[in-house]
Amino acid sequence: MSVTANSNMNMKFLYAGIVIALLIAIAAPFLASSDPDGLESAAGGLIDEVTYSTMEESAPFVESPMPDYAIEGQGKMGEVAAVVAGTILVLGISFVLGKAAKKN
Amino acid sequence: MHIPDSFIPMGQAIVYWVIALPFVFMSLKWARKELDDMKIPILAALAAGIFAIQALNIPIGMGTSGHMVGAVLVSIIFGSPFAGVLVLTLVLLVQGFVFGDGGITTMGANIFNMGVVSGFVGYYLFAALKSKVDIKAAAFVGAWIGLLVSALVCSVEMAIAGTFPLVAGLATMGLYHLIIGIIGEGLITAIVITAIEKSRPDLLDSSVTKAKGVRA
Repeated sequence: MSVTANSNMNMKFLYAGIVIALLIAIAAPFLASSDPDGLESAAGGLIDEVTYSTMEESAPFVESPMPDYAIEGQGKMGEVAAVVAGTILVLGISFVLGKAAKKN
Repeated sequence: MHIPDSFIPMGQAIVYWVIALPFVFMSLKWARKELDDMKIPILAALAAGIFAIQALNIPIGMGTSGHMVGAVLVSIIFGSPFAGVLVLTLVLLVQGFVFGDGGITTMGANIFNMGVVSGFVGYYLFAALKSKVDIKAAAFVGAWIGLLVSALVCSVEMAIAGTFPLVAGLATMGLYHLIIGIIGEGLITAIVITAIEKSRPDLLDSSVTKAKGVRA
């Protein structure tokens, strides 16, 4: 197989990957369970209530622009926009980092 | 399993950064040595997909949910656990700084647990199993156990931090991630590896595809 054909196929994999990732990103706010994850759930069971609520309310070290994958006041559409934006951001950073790191 | 800032005191959080950074550095060296124009689109697509799927929490009962981590999947496809470390580092950076998912001070611990521990344990277990069982089964077990071990390591860190008691922490985190690992990690990893093996076997690192039956 020629290098060009292979390269085109890998670009196809990229496009297919982007489509799948974006579909998951759009569906996630509607499908994702709102139950606490394993670590949070363990914390809820193992740490006394007062201490845990203090920990949960303590300000993070750095304030993030879209905490909890949401945009304030924008509801579900804001969540979709947040996860889609994150997906595109990760895609872009990985692509640029890959190009910068690869051997020339 | 994203540890927030408040779960680990600053001094200890710095220690985990010091442990994680050499792995991040080595993952960049791996990228420099292994990545080319053919592989970069694959890496980018996988990283984007893993970020998205980490937003999709699956209910596991007991009022608890969990999601895929993905380091084992990436490591198997690229034939190196450093690929998993690199992708998880990028995903955790965006999650931490943009979405407040996982702390900034505790990002070193999160990179270590999810990128290094789950990736290395899962990948080397997969590598040990792939000549004995079929690739689907090896990927399933590797991904499952990789996640479980990283959750147990996380419990030990929580005990050192004084956040969880050791034994109860190991039992609770172990139970939840035993289940999350089957559904969220093992099954999805096995399905994706099988799909790639069927449609684009050339994408899998040659060490993966030619292994079975070759070794005596």
